[in-house]
Amino acid sequence: MFKNEEMEINLGPQHPSTHGVLRVKLRLDGETVTHCRPMIGYLHRGVEKICENQSFFQGQVWTDRMDYCSAVANNLGWVEANEKLLGITVPRRAHYIRTLLNEFNRIASHLIWLGTHAMDIGALTVFLYAFREREDVLDINEAFCGSRLTTTAFRIGGLREDLPPGFEKLVHKFLAKFSSCLEEYENLLTENRIWKKRTVGVARLSAEDAIALGVTGPMLRAAGVAYDIRKAFPYAAYAEMDFEVPTRTEADTYARYQVRMAEMRQSARIIQQCMDGMPEGPVMAKLPKILRSEVNEVYHATESPKGEIGYYLVGEKGSLNPYRFHVRAPGFINLQSLPKMAEGGLIADVVAAIGSLDIVLGEIDR
Amino acid sequence: MNKFLRTLIPADIAKGLSVTGKHFSQVFFTANRRKVPFHIVSEYPEVPAKVQPRFRGRLTLLKDEQGEIKCVCCLACEKICPTQVITIEKGKKEGRKMPFPVRYDFEMERCIFCEFCVESCGFDSIILNHQFELAAYNREDFSLGTEGLGQNMFELSPTGKFSVADD
Repeated sequence: MFKNEEMEINLGPQHPSTHGVLRVKLRLDGETVTHCRPMIGYLHRGVEKICENQSFFQGQVWTDRMDYCSAVANNLGWVEANEKLLGITVPRRAHYIRTLLNEFNRIASHLIWLGTHAMDIGALTVFLYAFREREDVLDINEAFCGSRLTTTAFRIGGLREDLPPGFEKLVHKFLAKFSSCLEEYENLLTENRIWKKRTVGVARLSAEDAIALGVTGPMLRAAGVAYDIRKAFPYAAYAEMDFEVPTRTEADTYARYQVRMAEMRQSARIIQQCMDGMPEGPVMAKLPKILRSEVNEVYHATESPKGEIGYYLVGEKGSLNPYRFHVRAPGFINLQSLPKMAEGGLIADVVAAIGSLDIVLGEIDR
Repeated sequence: MNKFLRTLIPADIAKGLSVTGKHFSQVFFTANRRKVPFHIVSEYPEVPAKVQPRFRGRLTLLKDEQGEIKCVCCLACEKICPTQVITIEKGKKEGRKMPFPVRYDFEMERCIFCEFCVESCGFDSIILNHQFELAAYNREDFSLGTEGLGQNMFELSPTGKFSVADD
């Protein structure tokens, strides 16, 4: 009557808690996962190949659509990689505004993560609170560049326009209330016994495993490795900012939650510093009319909310478009750690593990 | 003992509920009272949504004071467009020195609203307007242009209409 057989099931690709079209092949022994393999490729659009056929200027719109939750961070990586390739120096004010918007984007991305991750595990309330604040960040995006999600915020060489009138008011309004909002989320979750039972000790990924798999971002910092590209290889105006890199040593889902909550506080701090120390001056460098690549090969890594996003560009001298373009997507590389985290655990914890990865399938499949 | 007490008294759940209760009471006691508005949600279809001045909506061709199309067919927007949605046909018009766009086609269904075309335009002859309700029932409604039945590049797109074929 009772067969002692293993059962194979698919989680996804249309499962609401896989954050898009991720399919996870699971082999179950009762409720225990014995084998777990993520299957990807359902959202492949060939972004890298498309960008090779378009000019340096046009390629930016595709980076918006890779990780659509953190479009500004993707834009920043793209424009900085291109500036390296084309040999352009950016004015200081542009760097500050870029840093400011990038940190806003980090907050927005982490708020999405907080809302959806808590909803996956069963805390439905936080979703509504988190999206209320995200709305304000999207309004700031809209005020700056005219679009809310697919921002195309920056330009190679600086920014298209300076900050709009009334922008400071929006930022200060947001900063004034944001710390109390964070406290609200923490009141709802941090001490909550159900939340703790679902997250503490779940989906562990040790620092050795994380480094071996190339995991970056909050996943790595929750394992106790204080590696943040904003500190290690400062770009934009991060070298002039004073902020901490929050770390935890528990390496479980709860630690990742704590790291991301602490990161949002640090982001608010960086935004405040950007607003205080905003230099005057132009926002756009003098560019040649037609952009042609100068050097041969560039790899530029930036810290996106999900981890290290790197752009690898190969250009021929005098060429109008990149010869080869590759994205080191943080989601793609972080997803490799899913079998390590899920195998041996319960099937319900697979959802917690996927949630704590903070993946966006648009970026993984590209 | 301490742990046992903590299990018995659900202080953590009460803490969470207090957040919900605070917001509930704020809305409950201010609802229907005009003095203290406490609405996060906007009543969008009834109350028109406000957009920021830089909002990127639909592409619109501009005319100058004499009612002439400002576009001079430099083809900069056509070249810069990442999705190639703009098609311009160069032509001549009597009494006009500059080239005149005989055809200016815009396929809105593939437009990604990046505003590169407006940025590239050296003659300020196109803008992205503030219209965002661009849904339509037929595919033909998305191909806009300067000529043809009901095709319109100068004003706002009609909303709430079923099709061009209807009128």
